[in-house]
Amino acid sequence: MISQQKKYMIEISQKEIEELRNSVKATSRKVMAENIARMKKTSKNRPKAMEYFDEVADLFGKREKEIQAAKESGKKVIGYMCLFAPTEMILAADAIPVRVNSGWYDTSKLGDRVVPVEVCPVIRSTIGAKMIGLSPYLELSDALISVLTCDGMTKLGEILSDYKPVWAMPIPRVKDLPQSLRFWREGLLTVKGQIEALTGNKITRKKLKSAIEKTQKATKAFRRLQELRKGNPVIMGRDAMLVNQTYMWDDITRWTEKTEALCDELEEKVRRKEWSCSLDAPRVMVTGTPMIWPDNWKLPTLVEEGTPQGVLVADELCSSERLLYDPVGVDEWTMDDMLNAIGERYLMASTCPCFTSKDGNADRINWMLNKIKEWNVQGVIYYVVRGCMSYAMEYTRIKKVLDGINIPVYYLDTEYTREDVGQMKTRVEAFLEMLTARIDI
Amino acid sequence: MVIEILGEALKLMVLAGLTIAGILVILIWKKGLATRVTYLRFVIQAAALATFFYIFTYPIWLLIMLIVILAMSIVFGRFFCGWLCPFGLYMDLITVARKALKIRHRDLPDRLNKFLHNLRYVLLLVFLLLPAVLLLMDPLPSVQLGIVLAEVLGGPFKPMNILLGPIIPLIVPWAGPLVIGDVNFSYPYVQDIIGYTNGIYATIFPLIFVVLTVVGSFAIRRVWCRFCPTGASLAVVNRFKGFKWAPALHLEKDEEKCTKCGICKRVCSVQVTDVYEQKGGKIDTSMCMLCLRCVEMCPYEGCLKLKIGGKTIFKSRNWLKPSDSD
Ligand code: SF4
Ligand code: SF4
Ligand code: SF4
Repeated sequence: MISQQKKYMIEISQKEIEELRNSVKATSRKVMAENIARMKKTSKNRPKAMEYFDEVADLFGKREKEIQAAKESGKKVIGYMCLFAPTEMILAADAIPVRVNSGWYDTSKLGDRVVPVEVCPVIRSTIGAKMIGLSPYLELSDALISVLTCDGMTKLGEILSDYKPVWAMPIPRVKDLPQSLRFWREGLLTVKGQIEALTGNKITRKKLKSAIEKTQKATKAFRRLQELRKGNPVIMGRDAMLVNQTYMWDDITRWTEKTEALCDELEEKVRRKEWSCSLDAPRVMVTGTPMIWPDNWKLPTLVEEGTPQGVLVADELCSSERLLYDPVGVDEWTMDDMLNAIGERYLMASTCPCFTSKDGNADRINWMLNKIKEWNVQGVIYYVVRGCMSYAMEYTRIKKVLDGINIPVYYLDTEYTREDVGQMKTRVEAFLEMLTARIDI
Repeated sequence: MVIEILGEALKLMVLAGLTIAGILVILIWKKGLATRVTYLRFVIQAAALATFFYIFTYPIWLLIMLIVILAMSIVFGRFFCGWLCPFGLYMDLITVARKALKIRHRDLPDRLNKFLHNLRYVLLLVFLLLPAVLLLMDPLPSVQLGIVLAEVLGGPFKPMNILLGPIIPLIVPWAGPLVIGDVNFSYPYVQDIIGYTNGIYATIFPLIFVVLTVVGSFAIRRVWCRFCPTGASLAVVNRFKGFKWAPALHLEKDEEKCTKCGICKRVCSVQVTDVYEQKGGKIDTSMCMLCLRCVEMCPYEGCLKLKIGGKTIFKSRNWLKPSDSD
């Protein structure tokens, strides 16, 4: 018989939880401060508008308190693990959406106590963060939307349901079958009902419309920022990544305003030709497993602080440029069409390797080819954490395509650990060296 | 008397409408708002309606129109359907009304849509051949060319009428076969239906037809265009070897920029799936009426393009780009 005890999570004493949390939190604070200090140092002419993002990047700071206060005034917080969760619906129900995947290295070790180390570290780290109540956004969430993308995410939702209501949203793994969109739409309707039940607010046509307009504005600002990275580097890749990533927990309207302000400043810099690094720095794109603030910042750091220095001009990461690139395109502002539009935006336009189609994951390849051409990318780093099966497996095909257009691609596998930084540095710098040599020729 | 006054009033209205349309077009171009295709299209459709309204009284012009439309379709595809056809405008206006009521349209199953699309060629052929067949079955005593021609064009199954059906302006005070109150309504195909029936049916059938097309296009966007014989187009020639050059005006898709987001498929009022499904390159389906709604709505800069020959005249934009107007 299945008892009522926790399905997966192990019992840890309150004292141990406290101790672990305090120590990890202290390390994390140090890491965040250090990362930001280094970003400031690397970037020449760093925009002033970045200060705001430096501030919200503090996971245990301002935004946590704001959400706390909003919760006390009766608002609900809905967490999600994959970007497929329909943010617009959460906003329409007057709840706060936050993405709760964890980027802490230290907690992935704790996750090892629940799942074997072969499991993807993003998952282990999130489990670990939950064990010691580290992530403020995960803790503050009243419910979680778990989109069943990769195997890890599927089980992560199940494990977290030991603590909170978890709403599973299955995805169709083949996008271009006639039934796929219908299936996904049904799932959206279910989640809509769940959100309404939790918040007690009905998602009306008007509310959903204004929520869509809100995220469209965010997309507009977001795209503007990425457009600015097409030319000579005016913002360092890490700074842009941080801006992109703060969207996952910041207030969306404010985030939009601040991003627009940042873009204004950047445009001014373009006019004055104040570049953020040497124009000779090879232009690099990263693709692969999501990289999450604050700990998992090592690859972008190595690229942009390496000798020779590289600059990240584009990425294909669901934690950065894929977050908001696709807008919800509404044809007619009826409930029905808005639902279709939301459904298509999250499902059809996605390049996640969890999908396949008649032509494999051609959408991802096209995304990359487009980025490479338009953003003038000179080399691609294919980043995979050990245990991330779908990204690892797609490498072969991507490499073939990139070889075909003569763009060097480098496969870099790593773990949620600080120990391999030295060794990674050598590898990344060798790649950058090679890119520089190619450019010189 | 009343009819004449009404007729004069309508003429004036049309003139005023034309003037306003002209001013609007200029304004739209000037403001760089030309990218709002949907509005531009309404203006041009209205202007076209007014033009047809005037030439309607001169049958010889109608014959020329018909030839122009059919010849144009070889090079410009169904541009006529998207931008000029009055019946198309009529259905678009019903769509606007529906949108205002916040009622969602229905879609036909893709397979039925394709079937109707093919059925159109059969209809076209039947209408074109029927007079000839009838002529063969019941030969005229003299085979003078003039009489044959008159028979073909004006006989019991007038192909010209059928083909011109969609461009019959909707209200022609002096010529409409359907009288309601004091006003004569001329509605596409109604004249022909009346021609085939008599007595009470001559009123009932046209009315049923009118109601069906109104309700039909309220529920399903551009319902008539799915099988309209006049809408037959470039694909007729394009299906033959050696005619690949024909559709000079066509859509083109950039494979790498398309994220397969599906927006183009959803917004198309005649449910063209080729733009979405085709990997990239020239899109030469004859279902497309080149209304450019998909180009307008595709959110990726330069992904969809309208080309003439090798030149791009309009392309999809990042419609989220901050524009000067906001
Ligand atoms: S298909 Fe027929 S009714 Fe529709 S726009 Fe073309 S000509 Fe007009
Ligand atoms: S709207 Fe544009 S990007 Fe989306 S599927 Fe159609 S062509 Fe592709
Ligand atoms: S495919 Fe595009 S241009 Fe053609 S009819 Fe449909 S929406 Fe209009």
